[in-house]
Amino acid sequence: MTDFDAIVVGSGMSGGWSAKELAERGLKVLVLERGGEIVPQRDFTDQVPPWKQPNLDRIAQDEVSKHYFKQYPGVSYAVKETTKHLWVKDDEHPYEEAQGTKYDWLRGYHTGGRSIMWARQSYRLGPQDFEANKLDGHGVDWPVRYDDISKWYDHVETFAGISGNRDGLSQLPDGQFQPAFDLTCAEKEFKARVETQFPNRNVIPARVAHITKATDEQKSLGRTNCQVRNRCQHGCTFKAYFSSNNATLPAAMRTDNCTVIHNAIVKSVEYDAQTKRVTGVNVVDSKTNETFFYSSKIIFLNASAIATAMILMQSKSETFPNGLANSSDQVGRNLMDHVSGANASGLISGFENKTIFGRRPGGIYIPRYANITENDKPYLRGFGFQGTAVPVGNGRGQIAGIGKDFKESHGTPGPWQVGISAFGEQLPNPNNRVTLHPSKTDKWGNPIAVFNVKYGDNEHTMLQEARKDAIAMLEAAGCTNVNAAPVDLTAPGNRIHEMGSARMGRDPASSVLNGWNQAHDIPNLFVTDGAFMTSAACQNPSLSYMAFSARAANYAADLLAAGDL
Amino acid sequence: MKTRREVLQGMIVSIGGASMLTACAGVASVIPTDQPQGSRFYSADELALVSRLADLIIPRTDTPGALDVNVPGFLDSLMADWANADTQRAHHQYLGQITSNLSSSFVTLPEGAAIPLLEQFDKEAYSGSGDHRGYRALKGLITQAYFASEDGALQEQEWVAIPGRWDPCVEIA
Repeated sequence: MTDFDAIVVGSGMSGGWSAKELAERGLKVLVLERGGEIVPQRDFTDQVPPWKQPNLDRIAQDEVSKHYFKQYPGVSYAVKETTKHLWVKDDEHPYEEAQGTKYDWLRGYHTGGRSIMWARQSYRLGPQDFEANKLDGHGVDWPVRYDDISKWYDHVETFAGISGNRDGLSQLPDGQFQPAFDLTCAEKEFKARVETQFPNRNVIPARVAHITKATDEQKSLGRTNCQVRNRCQHGCTFKAYFSSNNATLPAAMRTDNCTVIHNAIVKSVEYDAQTKRVTGVNVVDSKTNETFFYSSKIIFLNASAIATAMILMQSKSETFPNGLANSSDQVGRNLMDHVSGANASGLISGFENKTIFGRRPGGIYIPRYANITENDKPYLRGFGFQGTAVPVGNGRGQIAGIGKDFKESHGTPGPWQVGISAFGEQLPNPNNRVTLHPSKTDKWGNPIAVFNVKYGDNEHTMLQEARKDAIAMLEAAGCTNVNAAPVDLTAPGNRIHEMGSARMGRDPASSVLNGWNQAHDIPNLFVTDGAFMTSAACQNPSLSYMAFSARAANYAADLLAAGDL
Repeated sequence: MKTRREVLQGMIVSIGGASMLTACAGVASVIPTDQPQGSRFYSADELALVSRLADLIIPRTDTPGALDVNVPGFLDSLMADWANADTQRAHHQYLGQITSNLSSSFVTLPEGAAIPLLEQFDKEAYSGSGDHRGYRALKGLITQAYFASEDGALQEQEWVAIPGRWDPCVEIA
């Protein structure tokens, strides 16, 4: 008799989905969260008005130096005085970077993880993404194709609430969308001009995980339409954007089948060589240092790509001396992110007597065209652009003038500016790794992570080309004052899309998981956070983590019901 | 609403500095004589300069101005609580530079003389010539502090806490 039917390690983007689906299938589920509990009424600060935010919402500089020296430079737009409790203190959660490399490991340890702080862009992978590795030989072939996952995208979109247009693009398939946030008048003009000059490119409204037409299911969870406040980085008491806290965990809890334990750091997963099954997890309480063992029939690792790989590597046994489910030696390898650093902006005229109302999430998206609709590129794969065309307003006092005119200029919309920024695909490379430090440990005795990740020639070439493309599109759209800084690649990890560290594949000798997110080596062990990603594609990945988590959880429940675990 | 002069006077009194306001009509300038006891970062001279600049850059109009919402006091706290030692040192230096660039008697100049002087200096600071980081940084802080205040946000900027809807294209009347 086990303590639970299933243990889910991690309560974030993917763990919430694993918990919800397993609990709704009737399994008794334990969710282990390494951080503290988020109580929205206490911990969400979205209702705090600007004048109640101390010091312009800036964290004291000495405090940044002491506690947030990685988190703040990495994601300064979101790490604020009233949100700092959602980000880890770097001095308490150290890691190392191999000489000559840099890695931004940007995290929050608490209920819901980074599903509270994510940017909410939600795109399906397309058929080409599942075929890319096979086609060009980088990485291993995905063991799934788009048609295998399509209905699970439907499933998660319907529940989560994704606003978007049905754009009819094969490389960025449409889904179960709620109404999109309409393009601004300048964005419509930009779209028309770009699509005329570049018939193989498209400009579409961003697809974001914000409710715009709440369903009965969403209302039953207390969720409402987006109020267009742009307070998302503070949490959302309207539960309008998707997070574990707002959606999946409440759905899991209302089944009465789900238990969440906080401050529970998983040290290792226990393996029984006799039954060839995992049996449970060893946990240390982060507050008391007490240790616990919880047993279950199924284990889902949803600790995030890096932490999941580390838990596997920490779980050594006679059968798995290099770490659990690691007979392929691929755990911790092929670590990927998206790469940015190619941006351009310019002014677009003709809208001087117009402005906008509301603070919308998202803006425009230019789906990948490279090596899909345009095949003349000096690099493999491609990138998408995220952007906006909005009035720039008066930037924080940085214009000439004093007195009444200066003061009142802040109430005028100012010129309209188009800005676009590339998100490129990083090729899988087994030498891009996270490993366990041989001797250094954190304060709970767990080895700290060591990163050794570098971008390759393809990423560098791609971003140079992306910059040229961005400038060309802005100029074609008639923008003036076009400005594009030299390409400066973001550090690996900086896009906070880390993935690939326990990849799926067809061959157990070269991959960790099969096409059901199930460990090749161990049938009752599943990994459905970003670790499973066989390639990165260029789309923001959270929606795919959701879809694969839901699919794997239902598959696991099927196997359990059939007595096959 | 109190007059601007009353606000400035009240502020100076509240921070305890021995001071006086000139009696010229429509003018609020400060002659500080020693360290303001309520001030945590600025010297009396510095506070007088920041107050004068804040008032000239964002004056009271049909909405409250920078002094009405105590931007100088806000910045005093910001520099005491947020800034590290390097930033504090630079801020003190910036204020010294601004004083020497404008005039050592700037805070006591009547408005009719102070406004053209500051307008000219401000124009230079945004012309791209010379190093005006200090002034631009201070002006940025004054502006941000003002619009982060309740009156600045609600009355001047007409900030709406809950827009509730998205209108991507609004005709300006």
